[in-house]
Amino acid sequence: MASLITCPHCGTRPKEEFSIRGAAAPKRPSPTAKDEAWHRYVYVRDNPKGRYQEYWHHVAGCRRFLVVERDNLTHEVFGVTDAAELERAGAGE
Amino acid sequence: MSINLLHRHALEDHISGFETDPNPNHLCVIRRPVIFSVLAHEGQETAVAEALWNAEDVAPRFCSPSEWFAVSRTLGAETVAGTLSEIAGASVVDQSDGRVLMEISGPSVRTILAKCVAIDLHPEVFEEGHSASMLCCHAEANVARTGADRFEIIVPRSLAGSVFELLMEMGREHALTRGFAG
Repeated sequence: MASLITCPHCGTRPKEEFSIRGAAAPKRPSPTAKDEAWHRYVYVRDNPKGRYQEYWHHVAGCRRFLVVERDNLTHEVFGVTDAAELERAGAGE
Repeated sequence: MSINLLHRHALEDHISGFETDPNPNHLCVIRRPVIFSVLAHEGQETAVAEALWNAEDVAPRFCSPSEWFAVSRTLGAETVAGTLSEIAGASVVDQSDGRVLMEISGPSVRTILAKCVAIDLHPEVFEEGHSASMLCCHAEANVARTGADRFEIIVPRSLAGSVFELLMEMGREHALTRGFAG
């Protein structure tokens, strides 16, 4: 596992400071969405090999949710962004 | 709760016996510091940070982009609350009862802290006046550099005992002494 994460607020930190909160790619369905959509969102998740995005919570540091893009095969980290900033950037597009 | 218990420090049982003269490497526990948590409202982060850094006699400590600690050893809680409440767009909470402030200083301080925190404390990376939240002795702490060989550590009160004992253990080879101040 990637052992050093460069938090955009705190700098380079060991992975022990973080809590991994699952894949960041699935989009949360609307509250009125069908049960199948919710079932798919909550229970049916891909388990990809290679590059993917994940939520990391910086529990022992700034307590912000970060989106870490990493490769779970080579342990390479491609980028770390604040989840709120990513959300704002996505909404602006 | 009696008045005696109210004024009892969380580390009172850990610091007992003869009071020795401090060695060059010394861990000093501040008896009654004033620690406030300052949170900025959305969109007000830079303005609040600027006001906090300009506040007199209050030392700001960085926690997250919208959260800081305001620390004072000289002022009373009411005075600090008054100063901080004038900052627009911020919410302040008194945390003095729930946090313990320790100051570690001496020529070997970086060697000691290297065994406690997992971040680089080289003066070029972690400059004087710099502060950040991090794991210190497995507890979440706010560490700040207040001088070339001086660091301030703020830990939650309930974890202060174990952090204190670990710091003392790590400083044993450097003859670290401890004591209360203020």
